[in-house]
Amino acid sequence: MDIAQQFRTFIIDNFMLGRSPDELGDDDSLLDKGIIDSTGVLELIGFIEQTFNFTVGDDELVPDNLDSVNRLIAFVTKKTKK
Amino acid sequence: MLVHNYIEQNAEKFPYKDAAVHLGGRINYLELEAAVNRLANRLIEFKLKPGDRVGLLLESSINYIIAYFAILKAGGSVVGLNSQGTIRDFRNILGDCEVSALILSKNLGHVVKEIYQDIPSMKFIVSDGSYEHYPKDIEKQFWLDIQLTGDASRPYIAQKEEDIAQIIYTSGTTGKPKGVTLSHKNLNANTTSIVKYLELKPEDRVMAILPFYYSYGNSLLLTHMYCGGSVVIDNRFAYPNVILEIMSQERVTGFSGVPSTFAILMHKSNIRNYRFDHLRYITQAGGPMTPALTQKIMEALPHLKIFIMYGQTEASARLSYLEPDKLLEKIGSIGKAIPGVQLTVKDENGKVCKPGEVGEIVASGDNIMVGYWNNPESTQKVLKEDGLHTGDLATVDGDGYIFIVSRSSDMIKSGAHRISPKEIEEVIAEFPGIIESAVIGVPDEILGEALVAYIVIKDKIDQKELRKHLRLNLAPFKMPGEIIEVEALPKTQSGKIRKFELVEQHRQKART
Repeated sequence: MDIAQQFRTFIIDNFMLGRSPDELGDDDSLLDKGIIDSTGVLELIGFIEQTFNFTVGDDELVPDNLDSVNRLIAFVTKKTKK
Repeated sequence: MLVHNYIEQNAEKFPYKDAAVHLGGRINYLELEAAVNRLANRLIEFKLKPGDRVGLLLESSINYIIAYFAILKAGGSVVGLNSQGTIRDFRNILGDCEVSALILSKNLGHVVKEIYQDIPSMKFIVSDGSYEHYPKDIEKQFWLDIQLTGDASRPYIAQKEEDIAQIIYTSGTTGKPKGVTLSHKNLNANTTSIVKYLELKPEDRVMAILPFYYSYGNSLLLTHMYCGGSVVIDNRFAYPNVILEIMSQERVTGFSGVPSTFAILMHKSNIRNYRFDHLRYITQAGGPMTPALTQKIMEALPHLKIFIMYGQTEASARLSYLEPDKLLEKIGSIGKAIPGVQLTVKDENGKVCKPGEVGEIVASGDNIMVGYWNNPESTQKVLKEDGLHTGDLATVDGDGYIFIVSRSSDMIKSGAHRISPKEIEEVIAEFPGIIESAVIGVPDEILGEALVAYIVIKDKIDQKELRKHLRLNLAPFKMPGEIIEVEALPKTQSGKIRKFELVEQHRQKART
C-alpha cells in the first residue's frame, strides 16, 4: 500500500466512520472538515510513529505537516528520506 | 442587569476596543453592537416572541457572539449546540426545547434537511450562506443580507432579569440530555463574581479555545464582554503550537482550559520555548487535575497566577476557586465558594459535616439554575430547599477548604466533556448480536478518563460495523477508544454491574 493509501485508510477507518470516503479530498483540511480533533491528532501521531518508525517532535506538530493527506505524505516523505 | 446590556454598555464606554478576534478578523464593541442590533431586529421582524428558544449551531466565532447577543436582545433564549453532535443529538435537543428558529453555518445545512420534519416548532433559519438542500417551505434569512441591509438601531423588548436567557444541554445520568435552564440573573450573578475574583479589567484578553456552547467557554465569553475585555477565539487546539503562537501575537493576558488542555500543552507542544510576558493568569476547571500536572505548569510558567476552579453547568458554570497563593499549601483542593455563592458539605441527614467528614456539596446563590427544561422530576432531585445538590462528595479541612472525594454520579469526565455511559450503552444495545454492555472511564494521561466499552455478545460481531453504528449515533468524543468482548460482566447479587471492578481489571491489565 502506498503512503497516500495508508493515510486514507487510517483516517477513514478511525475518524470517518459513517461518513463517505468521497468526502476526504487529498488537500482537504482535516480540522476544517471536522474529521479530526485534538485527540485525533494524537492518534494520528501515534500511527505515524509506529508505521514509519520515527518520532514526531513537538515542534513538528503543526497543520503544515499534518492537516491533509497531501501534507502528511510530504511530511513523512521528508522525514524518512533523512 | 440583562446579559445583552454588556455589549451596549461597552459600545458606549470602549467603542473602538477589540471585542473579539478570530483568524485575523476583528470586531470592536461599536461594530459588535451594530451587528447584534441588525440580527436582533430581523429576528423580531420574523416574529420571534419573548421566551422563544433559538438553536445556535455555529462554531465559536465572531458570528457566534453576534448571534448569541442578538437572540437575547430580541427576547429569546439561546440554545447552543455542539456542531460535532449527531443528527440524533440535534433532533433530541431542538425537539425537547421546541426551538422557533435555528441559526447555523451553511456547512451544517444538511442538519435542517434531516430534522426539519421532526421539529414543527421551527419556523425559520438564519444561515451564513446558501445551501441547496434547505427545505423550500422553511423561511430562510441569510447572514450577509441581514448585515448589509439590516436596521442597526437598538431594539427594545421589555425583559426581566428572571427571564430565561439560555439553555445548556448536558449529558444526563439517564442518557437523555438535560437542558440546564439559566436566567439573565443566573448568568449575570456568575459573570460578575468571576470578574471580581479573577480581577478582570478592560485590558484583559483571553485566549478562547473552549467552545462557547460549553458552560466554561460560555463564561469566558460573558466575563470578557462584561468587563470590556477581548476574546481571542481559535478552534485549532488540535495543533497546540498554533495556539501558542496566537497567544504570543495577540498578547493574551489569560488562558483557560480543562485538565486535558494542560496535559496536551505540557506533553505535546513547544510551550517551554515561550515567555508569554503579557500572560497574567490561567484558569483550570472541568474536572480534577493531577498535582503532578499542576506542578509541571508551575515550572513551565512560574510567573503566572494559576486559578483552580470547580463548578457545574447547573451553577451557570462556577462555584468555587482556589486562590493562586494557596495552590501549594492546599494542593488538590477546589478552594472555597466564589463571591455570592454559599457552599456547604452536608451528610445524608442534611447536617453540616465537621472537618474531615465526607458529605455532599450543596450550593446556593443567584447563579443556581432555574431548573432543567421540561423536566420537573430531574429538577426536584437536585434543586432542594437548601440549594443545588451537586452529587459530588467532599470533605472540608479546618481552614474551610473543600476537597472533592468522589463524584456520586456515574458520569465520565473525558477531555472537556461530561459523558453519560448510559447513553453509549443504549446505542451499543441497538446493534444486532449484543447481549449487554458496560461503558467505563479509565485513567488517561491526556483526557483524564478514556472511554472503554465492555460488551457481551451472542455470536461473533464485526467490530468495524459496530464502530460505524456508534459513530453514526454518537458525537466523536463519546466514541469508546477500546471495545472489549467478554463472556460476562461482573455483577452484584441484585444484578447491578460492578463497574468499579471493570475499572480495576482494566488498570491491572494496563500494568502487565
